[in-house]
This record gives sequence, C-alpha cells and structure tokens, in this order.
Amino acid sequence: MAERSAEIVWLLLGGYLAVGLLVAGLTLLFGLRRLEPGASAMPLAVRLLIAPGLTALWPLVLARLMGLRAQEDRR
Amino acid sequence: MAHGYRLVQWTPFKKRYDLALLLGVVVFLGAYLVAGLAFTPPGDRPLPIQLALRAFGAAAFALLTLILLIGPLARLSPRFTPLLYNRRHLGVTCFGLALAHAGLVGLWYHGFSDLNPLVSLLASNPRYSSIQGFPFESLGLVALLILFVMAATSHDFWNNVLGPNMWKALHMLVYWAYGLVVVHVMLGAVQGEKSAVYAAVVGVGAGLVALVHVLVGAREARRDARADIAAADGWLRVGPPDEIADGRARIVTPPTGERIAVFRDGAAIHAISNVCRHQGGPLGEGRIVDGCVTCPWHGFQYRPQDGRSPAPFTERVAVYRTRIEDGVIFVHGEPVFGDEDVPPSVTAGAAT
Repeated sequence: MAERSAEIVWLLLGGYLAVGLLVAGLTLLFGLRRLEPGASAMPLAVRLLIAPGLTALWPLVLARLMGLRAQEDRR
Repeated sequence: MAHGYRLVQWTPFKKRYDLALLLGVVVFLGAYLVAGLAFTPPGDRPLPIQLALRAFGAAAFALLTLILLIGPLARLSPRFTPLLYNRRHLGVTCFGLALAHAGLVGLWYHGFSDLNPLVSLLASNPRYSSIQGFPFESLGLVALLILFVMAATSHDFWNNVLGPNMWKALHMLVYWAYGLVVVHVMLGAVQGEKSAVYAAVVGVGAGLVALVHVLVGAREARRDARADIAAADGWLRVGPPDEIADGRARIVTPPTGERIAVFRDGAAIHAISNVCRHQGGPLGEGRIVDGCVTCPWHGFQYRPQDGRSPAPFTERVAVYRTRIEDGVIFVHGEPVFGDEDVPPSVTAGAAT
C-alpha cells in the first residue's frame, strides 16, 4: 500500500471514530434513556464501559435513535 | 437479566473464573518467555521486546482458539457448559492481549521510522500481490478492529439495544477475526520460524476449531432431520414422558420456526421456545430451577407456563401447547404469545 493510500485509510478511520466520539458523548449525556429505557439510572462506570461501543457503532446508534424518535412522533 | 445495569454482575463463580483466566494468561506468558529464552540458541535469541510481542500474540491466538472451542464443546457435553458462563471476559482479555501485541509491534517495528508509525504499518511492505511476502500486519489490524468491536459491545446493554439477533450476528464476526488471525500468523510469524512447531500448533488449533464445529453442525442437522412431525394438525410427537428426566427437556424441531424445548417438571409437561432471549442459548439444554426454565449459558430464567422472566425482569419467550395421548407427549408447533398461562399437560403416574 502506498503511503498516500495508508494515510487516507487512517484519515477515514480517524474521522469515523471522531464522529463516533461525538455521538457517544451526546448519547451518554442526552440519549441514553431513549436508546434503552432500562439504562436511565446507569452508573457512570457502566456509561464509560459502553462508550467505546457507542463510538464504534455510531451509525447504528444514530439510526436507532432516529427510528425511536420517529416512532414517538407518530404517536 | 435486563434490570439495572452494573459493570459486572459478579458472582463467586465469575470471580473464580476470572482468577483462573488471569492466572492462565500469566502462566502462558511466563512459559512462553522462559521457553523462548531457554530453547533458542544464543545467536538466534530474540530481544526481550520481540519475545514479549510474540508472547502476547500467541496468548491472544490461544485464547481466541479456546473461545471458539467452548461453544461447540458445550453443545457436545454439558461438562464444558460452565466455561460458557463468563466467555465475554475471555473475549475482552483476548482483545487486550491482541492490543498489547499490536502496540509492541507498532513500537518496535514502526516506532523508529521517519513515517508516522500507523502509516508505516500499512505502507512499509507494499507487496499486496505476493503471497509469501504479503503484508500480514494489515490482516492482524482488521482482526484487531473486529475484536475491538466485539469487546466494546460485550456488555448486556448492547444485547438489549441491538436485539439478540443483531447482537449475535455482530459477534459472529469472531469467525472472520479468527480466519484473519490464522492467515496473519501463517504469513507472518510462521514464515520467520526455522522450526515447524509454530505452524503445527496453529494448524492443530485451527483444525480443532473446524472439527468441533463440523461435529456439532452434523449433530444439529441430524436432530433437525429427525421425524418430529408425526401427528396431524400441527401437533408434533415428542415421546413418552418417562424418556425426559425430571427438570430436563427434549428438544423438537417444528417444520417452521424455532426449536421447541419440552420440559418435564415432575408430572407437569411444559413447552417453551428453545432460544433464550439473552444470547440465543439453548434453553432445552438447561433445566428447571425454582420452577423456572434456566438457560444453561448465563442463567436467564423463564416461567414455563407463560414464557415470562420472573419480576422484575421483562424478557419473554414463546410457549407452546402440549397434550398427552396414549402415554405420548405431543406439542403444537404454533407459538402462543397471549397474556394467559398455557396450562401444562399432566402425566398420569409420571416417572420421577
């Protein structure tokens, strides 16, 4: 792999994770209860534990949050 | 079960399990380092950091092999089932070992380059069209990313958010990770070894994983092909009650839908979905504890009469109607999801 290609791969991965971190932070602060009602009283340590997953799976998390929002709007 | 989240739902068993895991890892790493120093001629002896990065890589491979063996072994013999109870900690530990391996590789082989070490990792060997000189590091990197996603989503929170099916599908990526790791080792560490021991150990490990999966797959296929459809109108023949041990189940396969676990609890016959809502564990391989069907994998419980987990838990699986005719149990293949209990069939003079 050429250096330029390698740089692009890492830039894409870094960008993905940067967006993921943002989504994870916002979800932990504002969206956790909507995402999983049972998590409303989740201790801080568990919130930190699930943060890497929120970062890695942010497209799924966003899709889920938007789907739930749409469901609530329909009601 | 989905009621209040904790960091780890510790039990005495889990503590012993994790202690054994920690000791196993320490012993493995120590043995690898000692053997690496003792059995390598002084001229060929690797530097401590090289030995350490290989030890972490070997430990991660060994643990991943063990993780993949546990599931099918538990299907073949209940003696292995306790190993399943805390398998997620094995997975997280495996990711930690792989990360340590990757970190030392990055430090030692790419940390002194003029290039950014991450760029160097992917660009220092551009022979992607060659097999023998293939840049095996990239395969390890992809496997590491998969292990990261699996470790990051191992908490029960993710099972509830994603749903059991998607969670399971995500975690089936472990097989891709394992395949990538095997090729990573074969094209990497094995190529630099004069001894065939490395290749043999990796080959035996991967072969064992393939073998137990084929054995279990064949057994499941035979079970599914068995004639469970012997009665009309959707009723499936299960067999005489005394063929089912008290508190245990026989699993039957309807023409469509999930397998059904038919339990005998004393004289009462219940039928419940065979698929646990938690991680798809085989409920029919569990037993009845305190009046509830208990999953052999992680202890999730369901009342056999309505498929609901006891309060305050909220999981629910399907239940099925049963009847006994001429001393033979029959179960209807259509699941029941109503609010009312499905009464058990009661055996006359049931075996105990």
